[in-house]
Amino acid sequence: MNEVTMSGSSVETAAARSMTRGSVLVTIRRNIGWGISALALCSALAILLAIFWFVLSRGLPALKPTLFTTVTSGISGGLENAILGTLMLVVFAVIIVSIIGFGTGIWLSSYASEKPRALVRLLTDVLAGVPSVVVGYFGYILLVKIAGWQFSLAGGAIALTIIMLPYVVRGTDLALEAVPRELREGGFALGATYTTVLMTVSWPYALPSVLTMLLLATGIALGETAPLIYTAGWSNYLPTAHLTHSPVPYLTYVIWTFISQPFAESHALAYAAAALLMLMIVVTNVFARSWLENLARKQRGEH
Amino acid sequence: MKPLRIIFGLLAFSIATTAAAFAAAELLETGSSLVYPLMNLWVPVYTKAHGDVKITTQSTGSGTGISQAVAGVAQIGASDAYMSDAQLGTTHMLNIPLAISAQQINYNVPGLNDVHLNLSGPVLAGIYDGSIHFWDDAKIKAINGSVGSKLPHEAIIPIHRSDGSGDTFIFTQYLSFSTPSWKGGPGYGTTVNWPAVQNAVGANGNPGMVQACQGAKYSIAYIGVSFLDQTNQAGLGYAALQNASGKFVLPTEPNIVAGAAAKDKETPKDERISLIFAPGANAYPIINYEYEIVNPKQKDAATASEVKNFLSWAITGGQGKTFLEKVHFIALPPSIVSLSKAQIAEIGS
Amino acid sequence: MALVTATIVFLIAMFLIVYSWPAIAFNGFGILTHLEWNLGNQYANGVVHRGGFTGAPGASFGAVVFIAGTIISSAFAMAIATPLAILVAIAMHYQVPRRLKTPVNTLVELMAGVPSVVYGLWGIGVLVPWISSSVGPFLAAHISWLSIIGGGSASGNGLLATSFILAVMVFPIMAATMRDVLSTFPKIVFEGAIGLGATPWQAVTTMVLPAIRTQMFAAAMLALGRALGETMAVLMVCGSALNQLPQNIFAPINTIAAVIVSQLDSALTDPTGMAERSLAELALILFVITLSVNLIARLIMRGGDRVKRTA
Repeated sequence: MNEVTMSGSSVETAAARSMTRGSVLVTIRRNIGWGISALALCSALAILLAIFWFVLSRGLPALKPTLFTTVTSGISGGLENAILGTLMLVVFAVIIVSIIGFGTGIWLSSYASEKPRALVRLLTDVLAGVPSVVVGYFGYILLVKIAGWQFSLAGGAIALTIIMLPYVVRGTDLALEAVPRELREGGFALGATYTTVLMTVSWPYALPSVLTMLLLATGIALGETAPLIYTAGWSNYLPTAHLTHSPVPYLTYVIWTFISQPFAESHALAYAAAALLMLMIVVTNVFARSWLENLARKQRGEH
Repeated sequence: MKPLRIIFGLLAFSIATTAAAFAAAELLETGSSLVYPLMNLWVPVYTKAHGDVKITTQSTGSGTGISQAVAGVAQIGASDAYMSDAQLGTTHMLNIPLAISAQQINYNVPGLNDVHLNLSGPVLAGIYDGSIHFWDDAKIKAINGSVGSKLPHEAIIPIHRSDGSGDTFIFTQYLSFSTPSWKGGPGYGTTVNWPAVQNAVGANGNPGMVQACQGAKYSIAYIGVSFLDQTNQAGLGYAALQNASGKFVLPTEPNIVAGAAAKDKETPKDERISLIFAPGANAYPIINYEYEIVNPKQKDAATASEVKNFLSWAITGGQGKTFLEKVHFIALPPSIVSLSKAQIAEIGS
Repeated sequence: MALVTATIVFLIAMFLIVYSWPAIAFNGFGILTHLEWNLGNQYANGVVHRGGFTGAPGASFGAVVFIAGTIISSAFAMAIATPLAILVAIAMHYQVPRRLKTPVNTLVELMAGVPSVVYGLWGIGVLVPWISSSVGPFLAAHISWLSIIGGGSASGNGLLATSFILAVMVFPIMAATMRDVLSTFPKIVFEGAIGLGATPWQAVTTMVLPAIRTQMFAAAMLALGRALGETMAVLMVCGSALNQLPQNIFAPINTIAAVIVSQLDSALTDPTGMAERSLAELALILFVITLSVNLIARLIMRGGDRVKRTA
């Protein structure tokens, strides 16, 4: 790593020395860092494409229009119930986690005093480490059995909320902290109260980053299986709008379970579900991202 | 956010209105992943003919099937193992067999996969506890006659199920019943204390077993008979197992039927009996009843009658070849069908 | 609202403690020192008494294999993923041309959205066979003297596969967050460093990165959490080792999260219920591990701060 002291003379001497040594070596030394980072980015994208290819090549043959109009039945069938169930669970969870997560993040960055803040941040990070199966089993004992909800939409949504919460909380926290001090001070200088500055200056500036994290968390929630198996259960039929006492189907169940069956049709359905889930995530991400970029450009002046 | 909110609101509303039609009863069947394929063949046919009942099937594992049936969360719990006395405790649960399944031992020994090696309980126990290390061990050679000379000097990689599994249960029961040292050691169960053997691998689910066996040369695995087509496609060999009469038999239908018939008369009224290591010259040693664990007291009369109807159909109409052949299970012998019928009659509310 | 979050965490902790209390009494400290994980004979009659609670005969719960597997695989995963994430975040913010920024950002965030089951399927379908047929033999042929990597692989299910999959899974969380932080970071710091004569690379590594250290740390902690707790993907590629510790990077391992899923169903058949409680105790142990790792990491960060200030 190059040590750069910020005193002018030694930098100039170093620059002079390196220029006389031969520019090719210099160019390589200067750019080796960039080269490695570019390589890293390409490798990461390559792996993503490999996974996409893996799923789509096996799932696309099974993607037919009837998937959207028939329910999962027997050893294959369609995915209508699972698609609707996934949408319902995730939407419900996003609503709950936004309320709790944004609230906690705002409190952490703007209102908390030092010790409670450190404690809640620590707890949030620990929450991220709880295995999804433990969240599911916790939900099973607490909601399905003790509260008597049986397999339910509410139970599944709560389980997903717990999974998403650390990301949304920390995301909001970090985003608000990153708001440039000058902007906030400008607001105070104009005579605004703390809360007003928060709502009219900090929050809009931080919103794109907050939503990025929310999007990330939603992606994670869409892909979870274990928490839902124990709280939402599974149903071969269309989900009802009942919050409790009614099991909810979801796409990841199909992937997890149907891949273990001895029938080729079941495997095809499992990969189709995986392909569909990933397409859903792609579409959500693409739309949200371009909308977010616009939002950032508006809120922050330049991007 | 506003337009999105409106869309989702409409979605929820439309779902709520379409859910207006109610069925007479909604049943949940959960549990064994071994019986799940068969359930998935049965349920669509049954619900098509009986439109007023909704049956959801789930593959979660025998233990979950039992515990959710006991808890009342599920109406029918599927399990590859009957409930033991200790598990039954003070509860009264019906263990109703619906079909008979079997298990084969697959291996991946390059050059010998199209040959059916002879294996016995003690040899398998030796492989899985590490005392038999190489494929050309004297004990394996001894039971394989001329083929024994072709066995390579390579370390055996034993593959077991990592998840709690009925396949593990019946495999380890075979080992326990045939080998006293295994019985006193790891014993049997849906999961056991697998002895530490170098390179022993745990795979998840039957497909995981197939994949692991296929990927690791010189490995050996126990896989449910419903996956026999998959293992054949993957080019894995399967063994002829030594039964209680000392003969080496293959998992063909006549041999499985022979094994089931041997225990026919011994099956008690509550039908809790193991079919492993049954006597008889042609009896295949690893076979078992697939049980449905049902609470004789269901939550209401409608549910009870739907459960009874479905189970009654399963042991009669459901025993047809079109269903069973796809999973290589065999039909219940007639005497067992009547025992099951008697148990089903006990279901009420 | 923060109260709600804190309450949730406390509830989970309380649930784990209360639910596993019988197991804690039954197992004592042995759970942290024994290799053997034995549910006991659930089909025998009779029970064994220890610590005031009963378990199935022969039951002995030792978690060393799982604790070791969890820590080692997560450590390897973070070691691979963190530098990679930093490099990729730098590339995403500084190198990607403006027009391609949106698609590239979307793609990296997509990686976080891939379901863990799909990662697992890709793991068994592509990664594991590749390890057992190519990586293992290659290393064995060239570096056989270093048994820890040259030991040869049996099936590819094991430590290497697990660490790699975990790294791929946690990398996007860090990369996306770091890129986002970089994008909100005032440009003036970077430009100022250039003005003083630094090369662009030096400007980034010596001025920008240290300034966003705390945010990078926060992202890394979330990622570590995910690595420690990842269940499905790990379950499918780890090889589910029982009763033995890994001898080389290809050996099967087991993590706490994976073992809870795989053993849960069998634990439910234990009539004494001790097996289920012991799994809850495992979850509690993981909770404690996550807490400790977080605390230690925070102490290191704060220590680093103190050094910087006096220098």
